[in-house]
Amino acid sequence: MSGSDNTPDSGVQRDDPMIAAEWALGLLEGEELLAARGKYATDPDFAWRKQWWDDWFAPLTDAIPGAEPGAHVWDGIAARMAALSSQQAPAQGTVIALEARVRRWQWVAGLTSAAAAIALTLLVFAPGNAPVEAPGDTPAQIAAAAPMVATVPIGDTGLRLDVTYIPESERMLVAAIGLTADGVHDHELWLVPAGGGELKSLGVVAPGQVRSMTLPADIASGLNDGARLLLTQEPLGGKPAGVDAGPVVAEGDFTRV
Amino acid sequence: MAAHPRPASAEARQALRDAMARLANGDQSALEEIYRATRVKLFGITLRILGDQKEAEDALQDVYINLWQRADRYDPERASPIAWLAAFARNRAIDRLRTGKVRGGAVPVEEAAPLPDEAPLADMLMVDAEQAAQIHKCLGALDDRTQGHIRAAFFEGHTYAQLAEAADVPLGTMKSWIRRGLQRLRTCLEASEAA
Repeated sequence: MSGSDNTPDSGVQRDDPMIAAEWALGLLEGEELLAARGKYATDPDFAWRKQWWDDWFAPLTDAIPGAEPGAHVWDGIAARMAALSSQQAPAQGTVIALEARVRRWQWVAGLTSAAAAIALTLLVFAPGNAPVEAPGDTPAQIAAAAPMVATVPIGDTGLRLDVTYIPESERMLVAAIGLTADGVHDHELWLVPAGGGELKSLGVVAPGQVRSMTLPADIASGLNDGARLLLTQEPLGGKPAGVDAGPVVAEGDFTRV
Repeated sequence: MAAHPRPASAEARQALRDAMARLANGDQSALEEIYRATRVKLFGITLRILGDQKEAEDALQDVYINLWQRADRYDPERASPIAWLAAFARNRAIDRLRTGKVRGGAVPVEEAAPLPDEAPLADMLMVDAEQAAQIHKCLGALDDRTQGHIRAAFFEGHTYAQLAEAADVPLGTMKSWIRRGLQRLRTCLEASEAA
């Protein structure tokens, strides 16, 4: 057995079920992990096989000794849940109005439902957010404050970055669901203002997460129809000071919804 | 008292299944119940993979918040709730490991040997016994070396590159070993399903 084991590429076919197994085991990284996640979202057979491996591997976790997390862990979970849901009841009318708009962005921008759900929550609960009137009462106000979206496709992977700016709350959501880090690079997002001018860094993208950030006024002012986003590849931590930005790996334009 | 009391573990397992269903239907209070029942097992998993208390606790929080937000993804027809949660927690921990926030965890590569048997968890937190026996049987049918590498990948979250470095073999060799092991594993598991 050891003789044949020393020969690399001994005829094992690396088909989709094999890639699903490697993924379930946690072996995939970088581009391959990215591709696998993309495939999971679009290929039911592949998703089924990944789940198949997960199910089979799950009993192995019984060998891992349990451990008691700190009490603050549940407090943190409860606080996050409360923050996301406590005000839902009084804001019911607003939620309905916003849900309709969220659906519209989904249609226009193809936002992931997760991003949309979080966007909805932020719209409703953002601090200092002026209450939005019922739809029909103030169409002009809604139009003026319409969210802006940009979709930044990543190469031909089928994956993309969804960026949503919500003027009412001066918040921007960056959804990098399905993206993953390769451990060597970070990706930094840049705003090219509509009228030209200096690039403004929007920070390093957090792979696999939906991040919300408050935009400083000087950056928000450059965010209009036609403003462009660039994604560059940088060393971990983002572009070092005094060095040119790395290669542009993706770009997209903002449009008002 | 019921006329035919079920074993406590079966009852606890059913309670967990019910709580998952309630959570999927929007009952937030179900999350605390799930947390109480499963936190020790799931924290054991995130701690094992990440090797750092703080990171593992952050990962654990993400697991439950994520579960709350997407409880509808759990298919009770498909997997036992604890198996599904265990895989979910491990996948989240591996994701975190791969984002580069934690580099390699605290367990040194040299120590990534096959695990000794450790005190099992409370019975209700064990994944289905029959299924467990089968994966152990199929893994046990692999040669020791391949089995060791697959277990190190599973338990320590090691990449091909880390495994190759630890074993001091070329990357291609390690990939070939593991892929052949996974192929045999699949054949063995599928045969057990057909039986």
